[in-house]
Amino acid sequence: MATLSIKDVRKSYGSVQVLHGVDIELEDGGFLVLLGPSGCGKSTLLNMIAGLDDTSGGDILIGGRSVVDLAPKDRNIAMVFQSYALYPTMSVARNIGFGLEMRGVGADKRKRAVEDAARLLQISHLLDRRPANLSGGQRQRVAMGRAIVRDPELFLFDEPLSNLDAKLRVEMRTEIKRLHERLGTSIVYVTHDQIEAMTLGTKVAVMKGGHIQQLADPRTVYERPANMFVASFIGSPAMNFLPGRLVRDANGVRFEASGVSIAMLAGKPAEISERPVILGMRPEELKVAARDQASVTGVIDVVEPTGPETMVTVQVGDRSVMARVPPRFAGQRNEAIFLAVDPASVNLFDPDTEQRIDI
Amino acid sequence: MIESKRHRRLIANIATYTVLVSLSAFCIGPMVWMFLTSLKYEADIVTQTMQYIPSRITFDNYVAIWTQSGFPLLIGNSLVVTLLTVTICVVTGTLAAYAFSRFAFRGRDRLMLGYLVVRMFPAVMVIIPLYVVMRGVGLVDSRFGLALAYTSFLLPLFVWMLKGFFDSAPRELESAARIDGSTRLGAMVRIVVPLARNGLVASSVFIAIAAWNEFLFALMLTTGQGSRTWPVGLQLMVGEFQLPWAFWPPAASSASSRSSFSSLSSNEPWFRG
Repeated sequence: MATLSIKDVRKSYGSVQVLHGVDIELEDGGFLVLLGPSGCGKSTLLNMIAGLDDTSGGDILIGGRSVVDLAPKDRNIAMVFQSYALYPTMSVARNIGFGLEMRGVGADKRKRAVEDAARLLQISHLLDRRPANLSGGQRQRVAMGRAIVRDPELFLFDEPLSNLDAKLRVEMRTEIKRLHERLGTSIVYVTHDQIEAMTLGTKVAVMKGGHIQQLADPRTVYERPANMFVASFIGSPAMNFLPGRLVRDANGVRFEASGVSIAMLAGKPAEISERPVILGMRPEELKVAARDQASVTGVIDVVEPTGPETMVTVQVGDRSVMARVPPRFAGQRNEAIFLAVDPASVNLFDPDTEQRIDI
Repeated sequence: MIESKRHRRLIANIATYTVLVSLSAFCIGPMVWMFLTSLKYEADIVTQTMQYIPSRITFDNYVAIWTQSGFPLLIGNSLVVTLLTVTICVVTGTLAAYAFSRFAFRGRDRLMLGYLVVRMFPAVMVIIPLYVVMRGVGLVDSRFGLALAYTSFLLPLFVWMLKGFFDSAPRELESAARIDGSTRLGAMVRIVVPLARNGLVASSVFIAIAAWNEFLFALMLTTGQGSRTWPVGLQLMVGEFQLPWAFWPPAASSASSRSSFSSLSSNEPWFRG
C-alpha cells in the first residue's frame, strides 16, 4: 500500500501538449478513477505512472518515492490492461507467476503464491490452460491474478472491463470492488464509464483536453460538479441545463426562466447581484407536484417507461427537460405537468465560463 | 436444374484439377528428370534418342560425387556460410526489426525505404566494390567474408519481413512484461520473439535458401577450395574438353535435398508466416 502524488505532470508530443500540469493526491489505500472521454489524456497519465511513457515535466511519487526516472519494473506496480495482455505462449499459472519469476522468486514459493491468487479469484481449475482457451471473464480474472500475486504498492487498471459484455461487466466491477476492500492496495483506474467511476472510486478525477476538470469524491462530483462539462459527463440521463436569471425580491433570491421559478437557498442573499446564470438540475431531483407547489411548469413531450422508473421529457419554455419519475406515472403527451425541485439540489453555472457558481 | 448444376460443378472441378496437375508437372518435372538422370550410367545420359526412364539403374554417380570429387568440402563450406549468414541475420536483423517496429525516431521510414532501395539494384552492381572492400579487410576467400557479403543484401529483406511480424505482436504484452519485471530487451526476447516465432523461422529459411543457392558472390569472392561453395564448385567441374554429365544430377540432387529438407522441416511456421 502506498500514497500516490502526481505533481504538475505534463506531457507533450513535439509541439502538441496532451497533459497540462496535472496535480493529484491519492491517499494510502485509495481508489482513484481517471474518468473522461476518449483523447482526454487519462491513459497517457496512467502510462506515465506505470513508466511506459516518459513525462515531459513534473514529478510522480509512489509511497513518497519519486519514480519518474525508474523503469516500470522498478516502480513496484502492477497493471491490468484493457486487452488483458496475457502472454499467449504461456499457461495461466505461468502468466500469473511471470512477475515473480522475473524477480527471482523460487519455484515453490511462486507456486504457492499463484495458487493463493487463483483461489482468491476462483480460477484454480484453469491454471494449466492457455489464454486462448479462456472466456473473456476468465481472462480478466487471470489478468487480475497476475497483478495481485506480486503484492505491489499500486494497482493500475486501464479500462479493464471495456471488452466484457454488460452482465459480466457488472459482475467484474463488483469483484474489483471486493478485491480492493479485501487487499486495501491503492488503485488507479482508467475508464470512460461513469457508472464504474461512481461505484468504484474513493476519488474521481474528471479529465478533458489534458486538464483535470474536477478531483473529488464521487458524490461531490455528482452533486456539486465543478463545471458544465463535469455536470453533463456524469449522470445518465445528463443534467438538465436551463438558462435564466438570478433575481432578488423581498423573499430572497430566485432563479427565473420561462416556466421556471425556484427560490434559491442563498448563504448571503444581500451579496448576490442579479445576473444571468445557467441552472443545472438532475432528472431525479424533479418531482411531480401540485400546481401551487411547482417551481417548473411545462408540457409533456415524451413518456418512456423503463420498468423501475419512467423518463419524461418535458417542454419548458423553448427547452427540453428530462424528469425521472415513479414507474406508474400516468401523464400523457401534451398534458401540462408541474414539477417541484429541492433548491438545495440544484447547481448554478456561469454562462460565459461554464464554471459552477456557489451562492 | 439440380442435375445441370452438378454437371457444371463437375466440369469446373475437372478443369481446375487439369490446370493444377499441369502446373505441378511443369514445376516437378525437371526435378524428377534430374533425379532419374542421376540414376543413369553416363553412356545412357548422352544418347541420340532421349531416354526418360532409365533402362538400368546405378548409384555409382552418387558414390563418385561424394568420394572422387571435392563435393563434401563444397557442401560443408555451403553449410558453414549459410549458417553464418542466418546467424548474423537473426541476431542483428531481429534487433533491427524490433527497433523499426517499436521505436519512433527521426528518419525511421526513410531508413526502411533505403533498405528496400538496396534490394532494387542487381547484386552484380556491387560485386566489384564489394570485392575491393573484402580484399582490403582480408576477407576474400573466407567463409566468414562470404557470409558477410550475403548478409549485406539479405539482411534488408530479413528486416522487412520480420518487422511485419513484430508489428502484429500487441504492444500491451511487452508493456505487461516490462511491468512484471523484464527489461525492454528481456520483454522482446521472452514475449515478442516467441510470438513472432513463425515469422522468424520463415524469414530464416528464406535467407538460408538464398545463401545456400547463391552463385555470383561466391564465384567472385572465393578462389580456393577451402571456402568455395557447392554452386561454384559444381560450375567448376565443367572442364575444357568435357562436361561431367553424370556428376551434375547427383550433386544437384544432394544439394537441393538439403534446402528442401530445411524448408519442409519447418513448413508449419513457414505457411503460418
